[in-house]
Amino acid sequence: MAEAQRTGTYLQRFPGSSTPPAEGTESEQLKIIELEESTQMLTIKNLHATVEGTPILKGIDLEIKPGEVHAVMGPNGSGKSTLAQVLAGHEAFEVTEGEVLFDGQNLLDLEVEERALAGLFLAFQYPVEIPGVSNLQFLRTALNTRRKANGQDELDSVSFMKLAKEKAKQVDMSPDFLKRGVNEGFSGGEKKRNEILQMLMLEPRLGILDETDSGLDIDALKVIANGVNSMRSDDRSFIVVTHYQRLLEHIVPDVVHVLAGGKIIKTGGKELALELEEHGYTGLGIDDAEATG
Amino acid sequence: MTLAHKTPQVTLEPAFTPEGGKLLPQPLRHLRDIRSKALTEMVLPNRRTENWKYSSKYLKLDESLAPLTQGSGMAVGRAVEGAYRVVIRNGVVDRESSVLPDQKGVEIQRFTDLDEVTAQSVARKLDTVIDNSTTQIAALNTARIEDGLLIRVAPDTSVDHPIYVQCVTDAQQSGSNYPRVLVEAGNGSKMTLVEEYLCEGDEPVLVDAVTEMTLDSNANVTYIRLCMEPDNVRHVGATGVRMADGANLDSHAIGFGGDLRRHDLQVRLEGENGFARLNGIALTQNRQHFDNHTAIEHVVPHCDSEETYRCLAGDKSHAVFNGRIHIHKDAQQSHADMNNKNLLLSTNAEIDTKPELEIYADDVTCTHGATVGQLDETALFYLMARGVDRQTAASMLSMAFVHELVGQVPLEDVREVVDVRLNQFIEASFKETNA
Repeated sequence: MAEAQRTGTYLQRFPGSSTPPAEGTESEQLKIIELEESTQMLTIKNLHATVEGTPILKGIDLEIKPGEVHAVMGPNGSGKSTLAQVLAGHEAFEVTEGEVLFDGQNLLDLEVEERALAGLFLAFQYPVEIPGVSNLQFLRTALNTRRKANGQDELDSVSFMKLAKEKAKQVDMSPDFLKRGVNEGFSGGEKKRNEILQMLMLEPRLGILDETDSGLDIDALKVIANGVNSMRSDDRSFIVVTHYQRLLEHIVPDVVHVLAGGKIIKTGGKELALELEEHGYTGLGIDDAEATG
Repeated sequence: MTLAHKTPQVTLEPAFTPEGGKLLPQPLRHLRDIRSKALTEMVLPNRRTENWKYSSKYLKLDESLAPLTQGSGMAVGRAVEGAYRVVIRNGVVDRESSVLPDQKGVEIQRFTDLDEVTAQSVARKLDTVIDNSTTQIAALNTARIEDGLLIRVAPDTSVDHPIYVQCVTDAQQSGSNYPRVLVEAGNGSKMTLVEEYLCEGDEPVLVDAVTEMTLDSNANVTYIRLCMEPDNVRHVGATGVRMADGANLDSHAIGFGGDLRRHDLQVRLEGENGFARLNGIALTQNRQHFDNHTAIEHVVPHCDSEETYRCLAGDKSHAVFNGRIHIHKDAQQSHADMNNKNLLLSTNAEIDTKPELEIYADDVTCTHGATVGQLDETALFYLMARGVDRQTAASMLSMAFVHELVGQVPLEDVREVVDVRLNQFIEASFKETNA
């Protein structure tokens, strides 16, 4: 089975590259290694993180190639959301060990906003309400900051409005929501749609969806899945963090990881998600103690 | 139509130099004399005066009590399109710069032009809207007035344009001035009054500005008070409003800090079904000081009041909010909401907030909330996770904090003027923090 082979490859790669250097001069060897590394968009090596001194992530290894969608599943408290937050740079978490390379850059050395400008996007599990800052102002500031960082001109208000309306339509969001305060008084589903709208506007290299499906009805789920699927391309990757298999019916992943007790305990193809749905996390031999780490 | 070219309909005497109130009509001169004499016995605000405990040290009355003269005439305020405008320069109404309405039922006169009968009625009314026992500054004003402005709106008259009263201080030399406004809004009348405090020149000055308003039955007044003076002005002001049944007050007091800013706003709901909204914004930075004292008296049943004051304090500045709500014994079915939120932009800034509720009726709804906080880290992270740097994110959030209230001001011109200053304030605040 193709998936099984792939699983094997993923598991085998760690830690570090197992490929022996090719023959040739030292500089050529270096070049080959660089080339190899550059085939990965994201490389997480032995990542450990704590919150207020309590270890949450206990050695995560993960590699994502451009164009791939990886699902990270796991029971509550397994560290899924922590992984997403650590990648985005949330201050509450302290990385105690390991490294993360994003397009060859050391991600952990970057500030929160530098990560975003480098192309990383976290769709929040709990999007924040910011009364007084309009959605439009927020989107425009974010978009133009990103454009500036990419050496592009800022969008004028006419082009910006056109783009914002077009993208809002794509996530089935009324233009009225653009004028309102960021997430202010939005329902759970509207907040999640707003996250996807931001992602559509900012066109990141790597989108991390942190339990974007939680609290959504099936229609909203489809809207969000369509938004994500419309963005899938050879040079864009996604990490879809979810508790349930449901979202993965609509956003079909290339690889599924099961996270428990702060470690990836199993990696497989999309059928792994189905397996989990059928047998539950306990069917994988994950007991509660391990799950809550 | 540009109103700036309209010929003033009210004849005002030419400019004059303050002469101890000699040009005031007799009844007003008499009131002034009484207050002047009382002044020598009056205990001016000091450290032991409870409602002045944070601010008395900035008052420095003795150094600057000498009234300012009319000055060079350079300070004339700013032109506002589509509005009436009265310029009060150094406490004296300036005819040349004013644009007055010729609308029937709208009467705007300066005190020094009043006939004996009107002057008599004005003199009887002054100091009766404001509670002199709690605002010593009003008594000081009456003791020092050279002139004043009477605005009368006849019953069922809607003033067709906002009236801007621009109180301009010409601070080429140090001294003090005492703008005074009396508004009488008749039954069912409607008006928007914008008081704008400005200053040109940088000598230290004291401005003591008092406005009293009476709203008759079902009168509807929007009152906007903009304290836009620079640091060298020590501004103490009081606004008193008495409201009859069904009257509606929409007040927006917005101010930028300085060596001293103090505003007392007193609202008395004296007729049933009255509604008062009191919004306020105070912004301080550097070593500025701002003190807002509000008092809402629910005297009769079935009145509502809603108060929202917000403050941003940066650097080593100090802001004070004291909000009193007094529900009298008979004022059943009163609804009073008071909310004061404050944001510290620096660890060296200080904010003191004190809600005071005195409730003597048993069937009322009163809510109050006062918070002093710092920028929300969760919101900062959210903005930064979209690529916005910390400084920009912080200024966006600070701006948003007060901008909700700016958005409620019903005049676009005012929102624009405030936004310009607000942007400067935010920019300067975050430059300082990062330095």
